[in-house]
Amino acid sequence: MGSLEGILSGVQLAFSFQGILFVFLGVMAGTLIGMMPGLGPISAIAIMIPLTYTMDPPVALVLMAGVYYGAVFGGSTSSILLNAPGISGTVATSFDGYPMAQRGEAGKALAIAAIASFFGGTVSVVLLMLFAPVLSSVAIVFGPPEYFALMVLGLTAISSLADGSTLKALISAVVGVMAVTIGIDSQTGTTRFTFGNPNLLEGIDFLVVALGLFALAEVCALIINRHQSSQNKGSIGSLKLTKKEVKEMGGPMGRQSLLGFVLGILPGAGATIASFIGYITEKKIARKPEEFGKGAVKGVAAPETANNAATSGAFVPLLSLGIPGSGTTAVLLGALLVMDIQPGPLLMTDQPELFWGVIVSMYIGNIFLLILNLPLIPYIAKILAIPRPMLISLVIMFSMIGVYSISFNTFDLYLLLLFGAVGYAMRLLSFPAAPFILAFILGGMMEESFRQAMTMSNNDISIFFTQPIALGMLIAGFLSFIVPILQGIRSKKKNTV
Amino acid sequence: MKQLWLLFISLMAALALTACGGGNSNESGEENASGSSGEENWEPEQSLEIVAPSGAGGGWDTTARMAAEGFEEESIIDQGFGVVNKEGGGGAVGWSYIAEKAGNPHHLFVASPPLLLIPLNGQSEYGHEDFTPIANMISDYGAFAVREDAPWEDLNELFDDMKENPEDITVIGESSPGSMDHIQFVKIAKAAGVDPQSIKYVSAQDGSTMTNLLNGNADVYSSGVTETIEQVRAGEIRVLGVTAEERMEGDVVEDFPTAKEQGIDETFVNWRGFFGPPDMSDAEIAYYEEKFQELNESNHWAETREKFAWNEMYMDSEEYRQFLDEEKESMQKLLNDLNIQGE
Repeated sequence: MGSLEGILSGVQLAFSFQGILFVFLGVMAGTLIGMMPGLGPISAIAIMIPLTYTMDPPVALVLMAGVYYGAVFGGSTSSILLNAPGISGTVATSFDGYPMAQRGEAGKALAIAAIASFFGGTVSVVLLMLFAPVLSSVAIVFGPPEYFALMVLGLTAISSLADGSTLKALISAVVGVMAVTIGIDSQTGTTRFTFGNPNLLEGIDFLVVALGLFALAEVCALIINRHQSSQNKGSIGSLKLTKKEVKEMGGPMGRQSLLGFVLGILPGAGATIASFIGYITEKKIARKPEEFGKGAVKGVAAPETANNAATSGAFVPLLSLGIPGSGTTAVLLGALLVMDIQPGPLLMTDQPELFWGVIVSMYIGNIFLLILNLPLIPYIAKILAIPRPMLISLVIMFSMIGVYSISFNTFDLYLLLLFGAVGYAMRLLSFPAAPFILAFILGGMMEESFRQAMTMSNNDISIFFTQPIALGMLIAGFLSFIVPILQGIRSKKKNTV
Repeated sequence: MKQLWLLFISLMAALALTACGGGNSNESGEENASGSSGEENWEPEQSLEIVAPSGAGGGWDTTARMAAEGFEEESIIDQGFGVVNKEGGGGAVGWSYIAEKAGNPHHLFVASPPLLLIPLNGQSEYGHEDFTPIANMISDYGAFAVREDAPWEDLNELFDDMKENPEDITVIGESSPGSMDHIQFVKIAKAAGVDPQSIKYVSAQDGSTMTNLLNGNADVYSSGVTETIEQVRAGEIRVLGVTAEERMEGDVVEDFPTAKEQGIDETFVNWRGFFGPPDMSDAEIAYYEEKFQELNESNHWAETREKFAWNEMYMDSEEYRQFLDEEKESMQKLLNDLNIQGE
């Protein structure tokens, strides 16, 4: 279980001048890049790779890890201020963060996000340190049947993301699932719905959908309704949280840092699913669930705690098994291989300095992030004071840059505009966009794991019901979907009687 | 306060620009690039671009970056190099980008068997015939791994079992059916007498292949040799066979038996080399051939090969073209056996 010597050598590395300097540079670059709409941890790490070629591997890893969780930390900013999530892990943050900012409490929303991120990040580093060696076995218990069940559980959130018509939320989700099937089918290699267009072979990137449906649709609404002046132009409100608000954050932060960490360990689940599931569970157990979606403190704290906790969790399979748990850790793994580090089961015993150095540096990194972010909030929130025409142009510009930097393909920019138009049309017809994006994120993995499981079981569907973890999650999913609907019907009946 | 704002915004803009700056280091000056072909001697007139049709950190990306580094460190080519990632469609996006550069020999790309397989599967309109092969540099091989406690001691035991109970054995790989991880397994298994269509292959493109081997959802893992080394060292998995012609050299991998020495007369080479756009003149090809040969013989490249456990496999343009034509034919046969048809 990781000898004390190993931990000490890690502490030494993390507290060396180089260690502190690079973790600082890493989190600063990460948080700045993460703040920009459209640029997330993947682009942040990809930018850093060429810089690290000549560095000492442990230092380079400390730097890149800092960039990674720094970008997740900063990612909430654009979701809260501009409704323009830069990574899938902060989509859920925009559900309550953006309404809060519109209400004139941008400063408070950002402060909640920063504190929740810090809390989630720190708790999960402690967990990582205590349990990393043991947890590596947890990381591999999930196979296709379990992932399928987890995705189903995540998708049941749709019924709770509906404000208004459940039917419209479901339609929106179905279209989201349909959109994700575009491209090469992973299990047969057949192309689906590409209409012979090679640009669609890889499918549609999440960012195109998110920035279109959220950021551009919001921009459209702002332009079209420009004559109705909004009540609180540029006001950011106070940063100070009331005692009641701090109290309110406590529960979600405690629960979601645990849940987020566990979900982060599972390869493939990661920050996105952690943030959605975090949001949903808090809404389900909240005494006033109707406040969610309208700027609830818990609605910001829960996903932000969860996604940062999941980010540290993702280092468990990466460092202890050499298995990348997400797109971002896959890029990170590639970078490590170039530096001649092969993460695997033996990393901890072969290179304890590297293993523990990275983990210890995460404590320092999270403290830096909090110190960097809190004082900056009043300035960052001032973004809303930029005159509307300029702000709108900036949002459009950054959305385009973000999308273009995924694949350097202009076709994606047209798609972005298309999704912007779709998003605006959905607003006019009051179809919620959240179920669409949730289904888009989870649907692809749900289909893939369903079909993998079916191939493995020779098309015997019982594979989903004979494994306890999968069965448990499916039952939970069924209940979480059906209960709100039944409650709705019952209360309707009461009203009509 | 306003100034602070402007500062912040320009900082963000600057960062954003650097973020995508890597993408098109080389768009300018293309106009004056043509018109030089057909002369006796040719030399590049501007900096060169090497496209890796994948994301940063993968095999193509590493090969491209290491070659660029080698050319610069050994001063083989005086021009600067930009390595550009054009990700998408398993390579198809990068290939169509290069196809548009017909006649401009300042753009190269790195390729491997997917350049044959993806067009054959109907997922790219461009194939190797559309480009100019310049030189192959290295080779890599496939490995078939099982859990430490698996019942099979060698490939023959595995394949015999597969002949009897094909539905009980799940093979997992990263790439989609009809692409590399699948085809390399099918090629060897078929030579051992297994019916290609009976092989139960699952593709896991989210990086969960090793997880699913370890947790028992899959029985056999078809991958590159390097991906297996760490887990073999940790005693979690065993490699039943590799697709190389002869035993490989190096720590751990020297213990991996080849399929050939187990009596299965078949190999699969994961070749990796460089290509140029369509319509290159003989002088241009000759220039690059010479430079790549020089790189191949340099100490720097020998060290690179050792570092990444790559094997030397140099072919010049003409050899390469013939090799590719033959490989394509053999891939086509396998895909026909599998009943996978492109357009």
